[in-house]
Amino acid sequence: MRTNHPDEELMTQVARLVNELDPMPAGLVERTQFAVAIDDIDDIDLEVARWADNRTLAGVRGGLPGTITFFVGDLTVMVNVTRTGERQRIDGWLVPAGAHGVEVRVADHGSSTTTADEGGRFVLTEVPRGTTQLLVRMHAEQSRTVVTPTVDL
Amino acid sequence: MTELQTASVAKPWEGLEGRDRHAACMIAAQAGDRSAFDILVAELSPLVWHVARSNGLDRTSAEDVVQTVWLALLRHLDRLSEPRALAGWLITTTRREAQRVSHRGAGQVELSSEVAEQLPTTDPSPEHEVLRDERDRQLWSAFHNLTQRCQELLRLTVLAGRAEYRAVAEALHMPHGSIGPTRGRCLNNLRALYHGDSGS
Repeated sequence: MRTNHPDEELMTQVARLVNELDPMPAGLVERTQFAVAIDDIDDIDLEVARWADNRTLAGVRGGLPGTITFFVGDLTVMVNVTRTGERQRIDGWLVPAGAHGVEVRVADHGSSTTTADEGGRFVLTEVPRGTTQLLVRMHAEQSRTVVTPTVDL
Repeated sequence: MTELQTASVAKPWEGLEGRDRHAACMIAAQAGDRSAFDILVAELSPLVWHVARSNGLDRTSAEDVVQTVWLALLRHLDRLSEPRALAGWLITTTRREAQRVSHRGAGQVELSSEVAEQLPTTDPSPEHEVLRDERDRQLWSAFHNLTQRCQELLRLTVLAGRAEYRAVAEALHMPHGSIGPTRGRCLNNLRALYHGDSGS
């Protein structure tokens, strides 16, 4: 559509730059659809955790295992990821400590679950790599569940 | 909610477009239809993305915020009583989340929203951009020196198509009559920054 109005011409250039230079990342819709596809959602009082440090996260996204932290309300979760061949080991620490249930969902690979010890520590081994989401069930009860956005591990 | 229910029957949003379609999806999602929620994620994530990018977030943080906002909607699904207000809810929630993230990232004190509106965003451009020529570079740089509200309005105008002021206005909670003049002022500001930048 051509027009001689200067505002419309400028708007056309802006549209081209926005669409070409800053499109939504490929796969973000699919990762988000995975993040919201949580079982038994009707019975859960969901709380959404935020990653604590985006720079660390950027490192993880670059394919390097490392430590990431997320939090919501009074809960902080630290997670350390170590490669073990094709898979990985996840060491975590929950504060405040307690026997919280932990689930790690990996897209196309189902999920692994464990329970933290009284000190709030947990370990999951042989976790497949991929788009990953953590769920923490406070005191192992379904009723209060903390979920994270996905991260590519 | 079950697979059986979602199988053969025609979906209530089929054949609908824009706001009507998304309102129908909202009602179905509230009744437990996950395919309806997935359609909302697919079709309205660009809105959330561009609001996040307009509000000072780099691309990595904006990706997280897109997911956080949809998880928050999932949490509040039953509390949104007006399905046609979804776009407005998404915009408001994304702005709030973007403020929370950028304050945390920069370790800054809380800014009032009025001050935040006047701040140019700090992220000049995506990392791997390929700019066609010098004029594109200057225009893109000028665009990022606009206020957050102007960047947001222009990005949403791009998304909505230039004629659909009404939908953009409603989503931004602006009176219908003021969006055209506001857009015009934003474009004038852009023009001034652009020409100032090029030194002509």
